[in-house]
Amino acid sequence: MLKNQAKTKLNFRENLQRYFCFAVLLLLVIAFTIMEPRFLNAANIVNLLSDSAPLMIMAAGMTPILLLGSIDLSIGAMCSVGNVLVLTLMMNLANTISNPAIVILLSIILTAMVGILSGIIMGTIHVKLKVPSFIASLAFMSIFQSAALLISRAPQALPKKLYSTVKWYSIHFGPIGLPLILAMLLIVVFYIILTYTPFGKGIYAIGANERAARIAGIKVDKYKIIAFAMNGFCATLGAVFLMAKSKSSAPTVGDAFTLMVISAIVLGGTSLIGGAGNILKTIIGVFTVAIIKNGMTTVGVNVYWQKVVYGVIILIAIAIAADRSSRSFVVK
Amino acid sequence: MEKKLLFSAKNITKSFHGTQALKGVDLDVYEGEVVGLIGENGAGKSTLLKIIIGAQPQSSGDMIMHANEFAPKDPMEANAEGIGMVFQEQSLIVNLSVGQNIFFGHEKDFKQYGFVNWSKMYAEARKVLDEVGCNNINPRKKVIDLNFATRQMIEIAKVVNVTKSGSDQKCLILLDEPTSVLNEIEVQRLFVEIRKLTQKGHSVIFVSHRLDEVLEISDRVYIYKDGENAGNMKTSEANEAKLYEAMVGRGTTTEYYKLEKQSKPQQGVVLEAKDLGLWGSFKHCSFKLHKGEILGIAGVVGSGKEELCSIICGDEKNTSGELFVNGKRKNYSSPSQALKDGILMIPKERLVEGIVRGLSVGDNIALSNAKNLLKNGLISKKKMNEQADQWIDTLRIKTTGRQELLIQLSGGNQQKVVFARALASEADIIILNHPTRGVDVGAKEEIYSLIRDIVAAGKSVILLGDTLDECIGMSNRIFVMKDGLITGEFNADANEKPTQVSIVSMMM
Repeated sequence: MLKNQAKTKLNFRENLQRYFCFAVLLLLVIAFTIMEPRFLNAANIVNLLSDSAPLMIMAAGMTPILLLGSIDLSIGAMCSVGNVLVLTLMMNLANTISNPAIVILLSIILTAMVGILSGIIMGTIHVKLKVPSFIASLAFMSIFQSAALLISRAPQALPKKLYSTVKWYSIHFGPIGLPLILAMLLIVVFYIILTYTPFGKGIYAIGANERAARIAGIKVDKYKIIAFAMNGFCATLGAVFLMAKSKSSAPTVGDAFTLMVISAIVLGGTSLIGGAGNILKTIIGVFTVAIIKNGMTTVGVNVYWQKVVYGVIILIAIAIAADRSSRSFVVK
Repeated sequence: MEKKLLFSAKNITKSFHGTQALKGVDLDVYEGEVVGLIGENGAGKSTLLKIIIGAQPQSSGDMIMHANEFAPKDPMEANAEGIGMVFQEQSLIVNLSVGQNIFFGHEKDFKQYGFVNWSKMYAEARKVLDEVGCNNINPRKKVIDLNFATRQMIEIAKVVNVTKSGSDQKCLILLDEPTSVLNEIEVQRLFVEIRKLTQKGHSVIFVSHRLDEVLEISDRVYIYKDGENAGNMKTSEANEAKLYEAMVGRGTTTEYYKLEKQSKPQQGVVLEAKDLGLWGSFKHCSFKLHKGEILGIAGVVGSGKEELCSIICGDEKNTSGELFVNGKRKNYSSPSQALKDGILMIPKERLVEGIVRGLSVGDNIALSNAKNLLKNGLISKKKMNEQADQWIDTLRIKTTGRQELLIQLSGGNQQKVVFARALASEADIIILNHPTRGVDVGAKEEIYSLIRDIVAAGKSVILLGDTLDECIGMSNRIFVMKDGLITGEFNADANEKPTQVSIVSMMM
């Protein structure tokens, strides 16, 4: 009894961390609704939910990276590459292949392969050459940004004749669209991988104590590279969703996503130090970010000010989540 | 001559998170004496020391120092009263030099025109080092370049300096398991230093798990059990058996190292090193490990035995020679590859290499054998829980349950979890690198018993004993390393154990 009482007191901070995300979500919804009642109307909610699908997919891929205690700053740039690549591929393939289903499938597969390969390369550089992921991904961000521009200098629109290839994106079951269902399904699959496989258990162990994990015989290098490959896959898959949503591509479309993805995951309670977090909560983090974005637009906040808000939110979230008792500091 | 009371603690209690770590303990220290403090893990020794040094306040109870009431708010205040402490975890800043560490926080004393007068500081540092008998340490050297034993001596030098700078008042030095990282010679050197201190009228509280050391150095011994007084006695009236009984609350019923359970190894060779070497650490190492054998490796810090282990367990790559496991030549590049062949190490640095503090007991136990818990391709929660409960039960791990985070367990229980993990991994060759380091006597006995069971089940063990005694007591065969070479080999059958002296002579 005594023990329980003491626990409740001491866990105040822990509870703050745990429910921070829900509280923020609730406060935001209330605040936006008061400022602009249209925020809560059905059309906007449908819009908001379908908007969050690409972000959720990218956040799914990034969560294991953060659990490892690593970070990938190139995710947005990778997304840009995927975005222009998939459309360019589709337009080229459409010249030779007449079946639109094959065109899009082939394009998605090729784009995803590029994403996976990039992830493997970056992971290998991080692991084998011992370049901190922070630096490795910063360098790759620059490379990918250029690569996206080299593939397609200007924004492109999906030709009318290929519209049938992205029809799946607008399928809705009530207020929830197919893209969001797919994204949430991906998160659930990742949750199962992270919770019920040796790989997933290994990710948590590596994030919490890499040295001990290595001595215990966990394949640290391999697991890290796999995590980066998964992340590359998710970045390009998110890019495909973005293309399908807007029926166009732009070589800078992903830039804004890097911070949004990290904000979403951190708001979902995953520690930047690694080793602690739950990918299911990333879903809530994603909705929170989506609401902030959507709400600010609905209320009429200047686009340039929106980035200020993201910056502040990510700082608050990290400050609350940071383990100040730990002697070690972030960035591996 | 009547001795003067230097320090006294009366009825100290302390509770954390609702658990009572101390339930009212007493401790008196007279001037010029060494007081030994022993007890099982979790008996409250470290907690009391932390209260005395001001790292945390007591819940109730009073302390007296120099006949005045004493309630330090932080270690600095305790230092000013003449109390200094060497912590169990090393507190040196490794990327600073020895001198900078010794005078850390006292740089002001060397201020000259607003800058630190380095040559003066290093000259002073040399004096302090001389005083603790470490005149072979260069104070300009960075701590990171020194081995743990040397670092320990620097810690002691630092504490001596802090307390001495008070004035000519009598000091109280708290040593929390100072010998756990030292070898036999360094322990002796430390004892010499402690005696020098006491001759000057200073006093020492000496905490150790090694009863023989406590008996050797202390004048009186306090025994704590579960946060309560379990007696105190003059060393002249004590012996290991008496202390043991007071600590554990029961007598030693079995032989310490379970010699009666020592079995003969089988014929088959499971691991063989041929002319193995690691550049800069050791070379020309050839030996065979048999099935069901405990092979002890003795040697001082820096003899190459640690590096030899890290090659066998796959943590490092050898630069010369060959390693054969079950007759096949192997060249591991990571511990996971070695684990595939059934080789696993229980590492020496438990906090850094052994445990994952942020994960639960169950997760930690499953760290090396997650594959064995699969069911339909996914880890079965049920299997994992069963495994955790089974090991918690078998090794009598003191925990509130498999969900408890490892960070909340005491050191000895953390070590048991590491052991549980190694046993659960079903590795056939287990490298025990100081398996009983920081583990209390009761748990030690269980671990010895466990090691005997492991080899009885046909597994093989390479043992780097926490003490030489342990190495001799447990092993079937011992080889001695010195400066990176194997200098001797001893047969250690249950009825013909080699003497410590004969082994030490080959270590030096």
